[in-house]
Amino acid sequence: MSIYLPIAELSVNIFLLLSLGGVVGFLSGMFGLGGGFLMTPILIFMGIPTNVAVATSANQIVASSISGTIGYWRQGLVDFKMGGVLLIGSFFGSILGVWIFSKLVALGQIDTVISILYFSLLTSIGMIMLIESSQVIRDRVRRKTVKRKIHYHNWAHKLPFKIKFYKSKLYISAIPPIIIGFVIGILSATMGIGGTFILIPAMIYFLGMPTSKVIGTSLFQIIFVTALVTLLHATTTFAVDAVLAFFLIISSVIGAQVGVLAANKLRGEEIRALLAIIVLGVATKIALDLLVEPNEIFNISVIRALF
Amino acid sequence: MNLRIFFFIKLLVLAFISSASALVIGSDEEEIYIDANFSGKNLLVFGAFYSDPSQARDDKSDILIEVVGPSEDVVIRKKESFFGFWLNSKSVGFNDVPGFYYLSSTNEITNEFLNENNIGLLNKKDTQLIDWSALNIDWGNIRNEKDKESFYDALIRTKEIEDVYRKVNGEIDIIDGNLFRSYIEIPNTVPVGQYKVNLYLIIDNKISNEYSYNFMVTRVGIEEAIYSFSKNYPLIYGLISLLIAILIGWSGAEVFKRFRKV
Repeated sequence: MSIYLPIAELSVNIFLLLSLGGVVGFLSGMFGLGGGFLMTPILIFMGIPTNVAVATSANQIVASSISGTIGYWRQGLVDFKMGGVLLIGSFFGSILGVWIFSKLVALGQIDTVISILYFSLLTSIGMIMLIESSQVIRDRVRRKTVKRKIHYHNWAHKLPFKIKFYKSKLYISAIPPIIIGFVIGILSATMGIGGTFILIPAMIYFLGMPTSKVIGTSLFQIIFVTALVTLLHATTTFAVDAVLAFFLIISSVIGAQVGVLAANKLRGEEIRALLAIIVLGVATKIALDLLVEPNEIFNISVIRALF
Repeated sequence: MNLRIFFFIKLLVLAFISSASALVIGSDEEEIYIDANFSGKNLLVFGAFYSDPSQARDDKSDILIEVVGPSEDVVIRKKESFFGFWLNSKSVGFNDVPGFYYLSSTNEITNEFLNENNIGLLNKKDTQLIDWSALNIDWGNIRNEKDKESFYDALIRTKEIEDVYRKVNGEIDIIDGNLFRSYIEIPNTVPVGQYKVNLYLIIDNKISNEYSYNFMVTRVGIEEAIYSFSKNYPLIYGLISLLIAILIGWSGAEVFKRFRKV
């Protein structure tokens, strides 16, 4: 059964869409990742135009991060003040990001830039996950428990505009979180991702936030970044596909719940290694598309048409 | 249905019998509605021609049916290799090109004839140089004549692959000597807007008679409503998209909470 996507202007199989949303939701529930980094490239492989894939992914992430945030908020694991300071940066970052995005669309370079960004991102995520999971598996085999020390740089404490973050027990300058938020805003607007896997290590290592508060706080700020990105794309690139988003949201929210349940019962490392291989596979496909000479070296885009 | 139409045309032909050569056409649709399930449609174009009352259609006369869709501006980009990466580089903008073009004839029509009579868009094979001035083109930094032609060829090729540019012959049925009918395939990829049908009767390599009429292609249904809403009220559209995301995300968490407590 096919469904016509009004903004993407093509028909796709409804079960394919639901399973994509379900699988990405499952993985995000299982590992606490947003899943946008897999959703956007797979949508592009399905033939969805790049701008629609990016804008619609942002819309989908709003739903999944709300689901996630509520859970952490109930346990008191969200630092709203830190989230707010991050958002100041993200606000300007996403405006700049959408501006860059529409310039690249006008220049006809959006596909290439998105491909290169995704290739770099997925390769690094895939490698890190693969190395980490294989280490854990190896340590488990040797029956060793490794204690990892969280060490962070103190330079964040020396900058001006210091603010007290009671929840995170921090007294640091507002500048580093604003810069981190700014970068996340740009990436979110251009790539259609929440940016959890960049945000979480940055909050732990650069800001020195307690690990327990990091996931909830990052999810909380992602709600607002992706919401803003959705609105900016809807009004400037007109690329948010509500029908596509609806099916992805429904299936990913359900998938995420199943993923959280599964995370309590399954051992993560093997699945994490498998996910790493999937991520590297997607990265390889993107690289091949860039490097192999295309059959048709010309491509067409309609600039103005009656509608 | 068809019998009635042909009977009707027969009457018309009789009415036109006094003139030296007459052309009457009709179509089964004035408006084509495209919804989400639209998988293409065969548009019936039919008519009658009469070159000489004393004799039936001879081999020297031909019929040419041209369908021109609404115009659009497109950009053709060419990929080039930069250090192994295939990136879009040069681009050419073609303005006011038809979004749909169909040319059908009873027998094969020469390009000379099409050029002479200013018919056709795909008519360049025999001419050494295309008259670019007839088209509204932004060449960018393309100077070379051969490059220009490669971009033009790419435009035609892409449109042909999309099934919106077609040139056929022998698909017009001649019935009873003086009646003809043809089914024109309208694929679901066609743009919306006004379409013009031009019909030419060609006798001895000259246009003896011509006739034109218009029909509309309109998109309908919930998908069309969403599309135009997103263009006309982008902010409200964006807010509704967000609201849906928030509601589903929230209720997902609520349902999950209850499910967990049980």
